[in-house]
Amino acid sequence: MSRSGLTGKTALVTGAASGIGQAIARRLAAEGVKVFATDIHPQAGLIVADLTSSEEVERLAGQVSGIEFLVNVAGGPVAPSRENSLPRLPTEPVGLEEIDDTQWARVLAANLTTAFLVCREFAPRMKARRFGRIVNFSSIAARRGSDRVGAHYAAAKGGIIGLTKTLALELGPYGITANAIAPGFISTPRIEQAGWGQRSPEAHRRFIESLPLKRLGKPDDIAGVVAMLCSDAGGYVSGATLDVNGGLYFGP
Amino acid sequence: MNRVAIVTGGAKPDSIGFAVVQGLLAEGCEVVVADLYTEGFSALKSCLCIRTDVADPASVEAMIRKTVERHGRIDILVSCVGGSWGITPQDLTAPPRRGFLGLTNCELADWRTILGANLDSAFYCSRAAAPHLKKQGGAIVNVASVAARKGIPPGAEGSSGPYAVAKAGVMGLTRQLALELGEFGVRVNCVAPGVIASGRLKKVLSLTGKDRGPEGPLLAGIPMGRVGTVAETAALIVALCGDDTAYMTGATLDVNGASYLA
Repeated sequence: MSRSGLTGKTALVTGAASGIGQAIARRLAAEGVKVFATDIHPQAGLIVADLTSSEEVERLAGQVSGIEFLVNVAGGPVAPSRENSLPRLPTEPVGLEEIDDTQWARVLAANLTTAFLVCREFAPRMKARRFGRIVNFSSIAARRGSDRVGAHYAAAKGGIIGLTKTLALELGPYGITANAIAPGFISTPRIEQAGWGQRSPEAHRRFIESLPLKRLGKPDDIAGVVAMLCSDAGGYVSGATLDVNGGLYFGP
Repeated sequence: MNRVAIVTGGAKPDSIGFAVVQGLLAEGCEVVVADLYTEGFSALKSCLCIRTDVADPASVEAMIRKTVERHGRIDILVSCVGGSWGITPQDLTAPPRRGFLGLTNCELADWRTILGANLDSAFYCSRAAAPHLKKQGGAIVNVASVAARKGIPPGAEGSSGPYAVAKAGVMGLTRQLALELGEFGVRVNCVAPGVIASGRLKKVLSLTGKDRGPEGPLLAGIPMGRVGTVAETAALIVALCGDDTAYMTGATLDVNGASYLA
């Protein structure tokens, strides 16, 4: 379905090299949006930036212009680096005592600081044009806790919700909406690479069977919701967290 | 094959339901409008319009039967019917009641009327439509309210406590239906609108004079500094009927200009 209010707009999508970010960049481009895409990992057509660094965020801002849609996808349960943009996810659940100080700081930086720095950089420009749509990425891990990926990731993604609500309050008077999407289990290269489901196919089958919609999500499922929020349909939605999880968790 | 959509409460011009009807028509759906406001049917010539009292299960079942007789299937159900005071034919033309009806000063008859229009209606419609939706999959969208999240402040003109309770019930109904219908490919979601500039809001404002000037007290609690439009609320409901939200079910989507952050 084509959506009104998208064609001719300009977007910045972070974490766009693969998975959800890539699907969003493609969907918005297909709707006639001019898309600037960035990732920590060098890839053709993408601006390379480590968004945990305010200097690099500032440099990124110098390379793009006219951003109206800001889609902050960059992040992940294991912090990416330039050398390894798609780090392997742990195959075993991550317990509290296994998270060392460095991991805590890096996961918080990759998932929360990135969104903060990018929003802080671009909000003044959106305020000046009195229009903007910000879409940040939370997670099912924040919504109901996680027995899998660790407290650092759940905490960072919970932080995204607080950040997003505050942006909605602060930026609302300037015609800017800010919302968060909390995806459930989405089949991305990273998830598939981790082999979730392969170690115990029976448990995996039972898990999928327990989902009301009886399937894992696809990156395009998330891209559709982003398109909705950026379109005219999202004009009065702000400060919300959208659970996109096949019915796994219904929200507070 | 065109998708067949039922919209309850879609006949009154300047309502969210009416805008949803236009949105679904633009998507190429065959649209059935179920409403008590038969005066509005003449403006909906491209729809099958059926006089329906959604608070009466027999009336709802007859409406579903007529829909299937005409179109052979049901893909989408949008339950827009509702209102702070319940729905009776007289309410459609009479001015809204004055004052605030709380739970503690509520007559049982008012409670029943308001719950009937806002909660029973969504139950009757989804129960009757479910066997048809299950055949090929589809979507149900219910309309809750920000009142379900935060209640209605005592004294609020033209509103009622039972309405807040009924709309919270709509959220629960949505979640339960999502669980029961998911395996059949039927997604069930709801929107929870804040203050939307519908014809009904204008009617209430005409009682209180709060529509004078953009700095009215109405806008004080809305960070976006404006009320929502019927068009954007309807566009969101239409989006929840379509493929862009294919992995959402059981969700409540708040559309309130950041006035309440759930």
